[in-house]
Amino acid sequence: MSKLEELAAAVETGKAKIVPGLVEECLAEGIEPMDILNKGMIDAMGVVGEKFKNNEIFVPEMLVAARAMKKGVEVVKPKLGAGNSATIGKMIMGTVAGDLHDIGKNLVIMMIESAGFEVVDLGVDVPIDKFLEAAADPEVKIVGCSALLTTTMPSLRDTVEALNKAPNRAQFKIMVGGAPVTEEFAKEIGADCYTDDAAAAAEAAKTLV
Amino acid sequence: MIIIGEKINGSIPSVAKAIAEKNGEWIKDLAKKQTEAGATYIDVCASVEVGEVETLHWLIDLVQEVTDLPIAIDSPSPDAIIAAMPFVNKPGLINSVSGEGDKIAKIFPVIADTEWECVALCCDDTGIPKTPEDRLRVFAHIMEEANKYGIDPSRLHIDPLVEMLCTTDDAMANLGVVMSSIKEQYPTIHVTGAVSNISFNLPYRKIVNLCFMVLAMNAGLDSAIFDPTNRDLMGAVFATEALLGMDDFCMEYITAYREGLFGPIK
Repeated sequence: MSKLEELAAAVETGKAKIVPGLVEECLAEGIEPMDILNKGMIDAMGVVGEKFKNNEIFVPEMLVAARAMKKGVEVVKPKLGAGNSATIGKMIMGTVAGDLHDIGKNLVIMMIESAGFEVVDLGVDVPIDKFLEAAADPEVKIVGCSALLTTTMPSLRDTVEALNKAPNRAQFKIMVGGAPVTEEFAKEIGADCYTDDAAAAAEAAKTLV
Repeated sequence: MIIIGEKINGSIPSVAKAIAEKNGEWIKDLAKKQTEAGATYIDVCASVEVGEVETLHWLIDLVQEVTDLPIAIDSPSPDAIIAAMPFVNKPGLINSVSGEGDKIAKIFPVIADTEWECVALCCDDTGIPKTPEDRLRVFAHIMEEANKYGIDPSRLHIDPLVEMLCTTDDAMANLGVVMSSIKEQYPTIHVTGAVSNISFNLPYRKIVNLCFMVLAMNAGLDSAIFDPTNRDLMGAVFATEALLGMDDFCMEYITAYREGLFGPIK
C-alpha cells in the first residue's frame, strides 16, 4: 500500500490520531500537497459519503472520518502554494428563521467541507436579511438553507424567494434540505438543488461549481 | 469492560464430564468460542476432588493451544493457584483472594513484583458481611495488604460479592453503595462481580442478569465474570458504556456490532 493509500484508508476509518503523521510522511516522500488533499483525503471522504448513502456505515463513522480529515487538512494547508487554493468554492449555510435545528445542518456542512469547500455557518434561526447579507459576498457560489419542521417550510419558501430576487442571483446556486423537504417542494419554491442526505449534498455541491 | 469468560469451570456438569473423559476438544471449543465472542480473560476452574493442579495444567495447555488471551486461574485454594501459575504463557488473573484464612498472605507476595492481576472478594472468616459498611471494612483490609506488597490498585479487581436477589431484596442497593465507594477511593481500581449470581432461583434469569449488568456498570462495575457468548449481555455492555459517556461517537458500540459480538447473527 502506498503512503497516499494509507492516508486515504486512515481518513476513511476515522483514525484522527494517525492522519496528521501520515500527511507529514506523504509530504516527506515528495507527494504534491494538492494530491495529498485530493487523492489522500477528499476522495476518501467521497468513498465515506457513498458508503453512508448505501447504508453501509452509520452517522458517527462519517463524523469521525470528517474529523480525521480536518486534522490532515490542518497539516497540508500551509503547504499549498499561493494560487493553489485549498477550496473549490465558498458556501454559506444556515437553518431558516423560526427553526432551531442544528445537527443535520452541521453534518451537511462537515460533508461539504470534506468535499473541498469553504463553508460559512450562519447558524440556526437565521433571518432572511442575514442570508441576503452573506450571499452578497461575491465569492459565494452556493447558498444552503435548511428547515427541519413542517411549520418552518413557509419560512424556507420566503428565504428562497428573497434570495431569488437578490441582484447577484446569477452568481450562486441555492441548495435546500431537511427532513420534511422534498424534491418537489424544492422545485416549487424555486431552489436549484435538493438532496436527501449529507453525503448526497456534498456530491451535488461539487456539480454546482 | 474487562470480560472474564466463565465457561471453562468444572462445576458446570458438561465441563465436569469433559474433564472426567479427558475430552480436550470440548475444552478447546469453549476457549475458542469465548475468544471470538470478545472475552478479555479465559477463566479456568478445575473443580475436581483430587488432582486439581494436574487438571488445571491440562486445561491451561488446551486453552493456550487455541487462544492468546491471558488466563484467569480460578481456585479456592491459594496453593493450587500458585502451583498453576508457571503453566501459563503470560501473566494473567488470579481468581481469587479474600479476607479469608491465609489467601492474601500466600498470594500477594507471589504476585508482588509481577504483572499479574488479582480478583479480591470482600468476605473474610466471618463469612459474607451483611452491610455495605462491613464489606468496605474487608476492602480496607485488602488494600492495606496490597499496599504492603506494592500492588497497584489498577491490578486489583474487587468483587463486592453479588448475592441472589430473590432472598436479598437490597442486594443491588447495597452493591451500589459498595461499588461507588470503592471507585471513589481508588479511581483506577477495577470493580468486578459474578453477574449470574444475582438471578439464582428466579425464572428467566437472563433478563435479570442483563438489567443487573446495566445498573452495576452505572455504579462502577468495569470488570465482570460472565458468559461472553451471551450476545444480548454483550450488547448491553457496549450500549451501557456508550450511554455512560465512555464511548466516543459510539464507535466501540458500532465496531463491536460490526464484529458481530451482538445483534442478529448474519
